[in-house]
Parts: sequence; C-alpha cells; structure tokens
Amino acid sequence: MRKIFVVLLRELNARVRTKAFIISTLLLPVMMVMFAVLPALLSRGGNRTLRVAIVDGSSDSLGADVEASLAQQKLSRDTNSVPRYELHRVRANAAGIARVRDSLVAHTGISREHDPQALDGVLVLSDTTLVTGKLQYLGSNTSAFEAMGQLEGAVSRVLATTRLERAGVNPAVMMGAMTPADMQTVKVSDGKATGESGFASFIIAYIMGFILYLAMIIYGQQTLTSVIEEKTSRIMEVLMSSLRPFQMLLGKVLGVGATGLLQLSIWGGTIFLVTSQHARIAHAIGVSADAMQQFPIPSMAPDLLVVFLVYFVLGFLLYGALYAAIGSMFNTVQEAQQVSMFVNMAIVIGFFTLFAVMKDPTGSLAVTASMIPFVSPFVMPARWSLTAVPHSELAVSLVLSVLALLAVTWVAGRIYRTGVLMYGKKPSLMEAMRWIKAK
Amino acid sequence: MSTPAISIDHVTKRFGAFTAVKDLSFTVPSGGIFGLLGPNGAGKSTTIRMIMDIIEPDAGKITLFGSSASSRDLSERLGFLPEERGLYRKMKVLDHLAFLGEVKGMRKADAKVKADRWLQRLGLSDWRLKRIEDLSKGMQQKIQFAGTLIHDPELVILDEPFSGLDPINLQVMKDVVVEIARSGRTVLFSTHVMEQAERMCDRIVIIARGEKVVDGTVSEVKAGFGERHIALTFFRGKEVAERILADPALVAKLDDYGASAEVAMAVGVDPQALLRALVAADVGLNRFEVVEPSLQSIFIAKVGNAAEVPAKAAA
Repeated sequence: MRKIFVVLLRELNARVRTKAFIISTLLLPVMMVMFAVLPALLSRGGNRTLRVAIVDGSSDSLGADVEASLAQQKLSRDTNSVPRYELHRVRANAAGIARVRDSLVAHTGISREHDPQALDGVLVLSDTTLVTGKLQYLGSNTSAFEAMGQLEGAVSRVLATTRLERAGVNPAVMMGAMTPADMQTVKVSDGKATGESGFASFIIAYIMGFILYLAMIIYGQQTLTSVIEEKTSRIMEVLMSSLRPFQMLLGKVLGVGATGLLQLSIWGGTIFLVTSQHARIAHAIGVSADAMQQFPIPSMAPDLLVVFLVYFVLGFLLYGALYAAIGSMFNTVQEAQQVSMFVNMAIVIGFFTLFAVMKDPTGSLAVTASMIPFVSPFVMPARWSLTAVPHSELAVSLVLSVLALLAVTWVAGRIYRTGVLMYGKKPSLMEAMRWIKAK
Repeated sequence: MSTPAISIDHVTKRFGAFTAVKDLSFTVPSGGIFGLLGPNGAGKSTTIRMIMDIIEPDAGKITLFGSSASSRDLSERLGFLPEERGLYRKMKVLDHLAFLGEVKGMRKADAKVKADRWLQRLGLSDWRLKRIEDLSKGMQQKIQFAGTLIHDPELVILDEPFSGLDPINLQVMKDVVVEIARSGRTVLFSTHVMEQAERMCDRIVIIARGEKVVDGTVSEVKAGFGERHIALTFFRGKEVAERILADPALVAKLDDYGASAEVAMAVGVDPQALLRALVAADVGLNRFEVVEPSLQSIFIAKVGNAAEVPAKAAA
C-alpha cells in the first residue's frame, strides 16, 4: 500500500512540475477572469454620454415625449448615474426639416475641442413617424450596435405608448395585460422538493458527464503515454524488481488521476471564486459589478456530489487501467493508438448514452445503461441528478462496477506484467490473451 | 556452512521453441563476489531475471536466503542493476535516488540522507538538484549504481555492471563492489569480460547456451582445467625455438605473438623438458614462466566457439 502511494506521489510530482501542466492549469482561470472582466472593461470606454440633437418635425408632442424618454436613460442601472444622452431639440416644419438637419449634421462627428457645439448624432423625427415608425439617425457612431439598439428601443417605447393613448387605451393597463407567464420548475425526489430547478438538474447532469468525458480522454491518454515512456526509458526494469506490476499499475493510474483531480479542483475553485467574489474583483479593476459577466453555478446536493465522485473514481480507474495495459503492450504511442482507439470509442459511447438518458432518465435504456460498468459512470450520476433512483438500482450498479474494476485491473495487471518487458514487435491479440493466461 | 544467498535448483526457461536456460543448478554462497559468466545469449540475463522474479521459470526452483518467499517480498534485502539501464529523465537526481530508496521500503528522509552520501562518494554532489537528462551518460550510470545500493542490500545483483564505463568510473565501481563483499555482503554480477571476473570473483559459474559449463572458486577452476601454460619471451634463436615449439610431443597448442608466445604443454609432459630442449638449442630466453591458465583461455576452451567471445586479448 505504501509503495503504491510512493509511485502515486512520484507520478503526481513529475506531472505537476511540467510546464504543460502549469500553463494549462493557469490558462483557464486567466481566460475565465478575462472573459468575465474584459467586456466590462471594453464597454467602459464606449459608455459615455452622447450628445444628440433631435430635429422635431412632428406637429404634436411626439418630439417632446421622445426627448423626455431619452433624458431618463442613465449610463448604468444606478439611479445616481450620469445621463446617457445630452439632448437638444430643434423644432422644424415639414419644409424646414432638411435644412435644419443639414445645419446640425455640419457639427456632427467633429472633436469637441474644435467645435464646442459638436454632436455625436442627429435624430430626425417627421410628422409621419408616429404612423409609419420611420425615423432617421445620422451620427458618427452608427456602427455601435448596442448604442443604436438602445436609441431605437427608447423611441419604440414612446411610439407604442403614444399610439395606445391615441386609441384610448391606458398604457399601464396594456403593460399589465402583456406580463408573460413565468413557470418555476422544482425537482421532486422521494416525495420531497429538492429546491433544484429542472433546468439546473439538466445542466448539472450535462456538466458532470462532460467533466468525466474530458478527464477520461485527456488523463487516460496521459496514462498510456507515461507507461510507454517508462518502457522506452527502460526504467521499468529497475522498478520491476522492487514493485509488483499491480502496484506499478495502480500507482500510475491513481497518480495521473490525482493530477487530473488537482487540475479540475483548481479550475472549479476559480469558477467559484470568480462568481462569489465578483463584486470585489469588479471593484478592484474599477468597473461596476453589474457590467461584469457572471458564471451561473448550479448548486449540487451533497448526495449527488458523493454519487458523482464515487462514479468518477470508479470510471477513472476502470478506463485508466485499460489505458495503462494498452500502453504496456506497445513501444510507441502511434502503435498503441490503434488499440486505444477502441477505449476512446467506449468513452464516447458512454458520453452519448448520457444524452439519451437525459431525455428519459427513468426509461429502460437509462436503467440498463446505468448497470453496465463502462457506461454507468456517465449515466448514473446524471440519473441521480434528474430523477429519484431507487437505492437498490444504485447498489446493483455499484457492485457491478466494482466487480468490473477488479476484473479489469486483474487482466490489466497481467498484461502489464508481461507487456512492460516486451520490446520489439507489436503483440497480436492472441499473444495478449496468452499473457493474461500465463501463470 | 551458512545458508546460501541464492540457490538455483534445476531451473529451465523456454521462450516459445527456444530454450534460454536448460536445467541449470548452482549455489551462490553468502558473502563474497560471485561471477556469472558466459558469452552473449548464454542465458545470463534470463537467469538473473528469474532470480529477481521478473520472469518465472518453467521448471525448477530458485530460493533466496533459504526463504520460500518471492524475491519481490525480499526486495528490501536485494539490490538489482538491470542490463537495460533507465532513469526518469525529467526527475532531479536527489529526488530520483530517494524514490528508488522509497520503493525499496525506505522512509523518504532516510533515503535522502543516503542519497546525499552516495552522491558525495561518487563525486556528484554538485549535481544533486539537476535533472537526470542534464547528466552525462557516465554520470547517469553512477546514479543508477547508487540507486541499486541506496538501501544497503544484503545481496546485490548486477547485470553487466561494467559495460560501457570509462576506466575511471570502472575503477570507482569496482572499489564499491569489492567494499560490499568485504563488509560480508554478497555480490553476484554477470559479465562476458573474463579479465574482470578473474580479478574480482571468489567463485564463478560459466554458462553457455543455457547450460552450466564450469562451476567453482576461481582457483579450483584453474586447477581443474589441467592444461599447463608456459609464457615465453625470446631475444635470440627464434627460428630454432619455433621448431621446438612445433613438436606435438612437447606442446599441445601455441599462441605466437612474435617476440613472445604462450604455449599449452602436451598432456603429461613436464615443463622442465621444454626448458631443457630450448636451452640445449641455445635459444636466448628473457622469460620462461609456468603460468596459470587465464579464465579467458578456459572460457574459450570450454565454451568452444571462440567467435562468440569478444576477445579481450585482441583489444
């Protein structure tokens, strides 16, 4: 047991100290923080008060209403914030619109230092605007989609309200009538509401499956590569005299697994920190907390976390042992890949079964799949998240998984024992079978 | 007599149709240096791997320290240097040695102390925090050697330990091996270089084609060989001498090196008879010495196929 731990620690140490590990581990959190913070930082510059002239060609109060509505807009949700627009309304009759407009356009898009009357844009309302909805904006910032959208939205609301009033409808009544339905879904398990929403369960099931899938593909491959490296560097011979093949195999698989868990927990921890501390981060870089992107973390019930971790470890050991055994049979990664492809395929099948199970987590496919050892690590945690799984099913699934794990490590250990000392030609399937049977 | 360190009892190992080791039996007594000799492909490494329980014999039994336990259960008492050397290239020297100690059951702190002591002794202290890949090949070999011995094993098994070493490192490692034997522990090493074995070993076994050919202490082996060898150096009358040395009644075999020669006396002939004949013919002799046969010549005579032996004498 102690020797397995020694091998595990060496493996962990060797992996954690590589540049690749450090870079890949740090890159994701850095990218995450950047993803959260950058949009806020970038939009900060674009969020300034715009100087807009309104050419009011309407014969009624439309121009005044639009001006009043726009004047209420602030740069952020904060009520004390700076107004979004600095407005200046010029009335014009139908004949004079073009002239007034052109005289204002002459001040548009010029630096304020050169022209104290400089404008960012000119909004032109005509007498037909109320009926057709058509209006014009001439400005230096027409390619700023967000700013254009906000402007258009504000005018739209004024138009709608004015039209309703003209038709004799109270706008407040209309708004009230249009309030949409908002259905809350709550997952029930064992007759009790869990507090999770159905959507959250779904997201959790998907995330769990994806983490498992990624971990197996990436770290499984690393196990394989690392066994081959040990073979080609001939360190195997030295180790073989001190360690049992089983100890070497288990130490290696657990060591790579521990590296994976470490990396995943660093990533998970960063997501948690960025989300829970986001107000502080926002403050530190000087942007408003609202502007910063948020990562939704669905909350995970403790029992689900346990089930997930148990199946994660089982699945990882199961596939890790297979990868290690395959690695022991070959001398180059290229040769090994021809066989490890089948293991990759099993992982992909497991992952895709997850999608079928998510659609109908209590159906016969889901129940069967959660019993099959190589698929159950993907399926069972998802089912646990989506529905109430009878404890008897969990027990049977666990027993089958453990039995499969024992069988696989036994077979893998025997292949490993012979494989690690075989150099030269690739073994055939028949030979591998003989290695397993050999005493 | 104390319990032998290793006893090999009628051991056979086949790889498919090829028999690598055939009904091999010998005993390595506790203490001293034991040489396992043989040409390339004789089954030395296979025998050693079976001793280390890396592969299992098809028939026969191997016992270490008189215990029925597998050598892996005894691995704390064993030090093994395989023929194929390998280290983790990315690991630091000190960490690597400590790791090799730890898999032998040492505690990490003790292993580090021991590792430092070995590095000092081998003159590699400055390299303790360097990566293995930064070391020269010779240094790596020394590290490997230290890794084999870090846990003070009672029985040290070295497969071709001296191959590929420069003379200085060779000397260092020889000294270490001799020191282990002097402290009462046992060293078994395999080699196909007879000169080393002759100078270092207390006992030897020669195997060829998987079978034992010679077994005993070095002096027993030489005494039992029977042939008497004479080393000669001439300064005058070489032509006459050559005629005398060609006489099959006196000389069984002649190795002519020009100014000197090594001859094997014919069975039952006294070396004095040869000396008398040479003196009578007035051959000028610098040297006339009755020498023990070298292991090299015994080896060639016993193993037969000289072509399979890398001739040290020719080098």
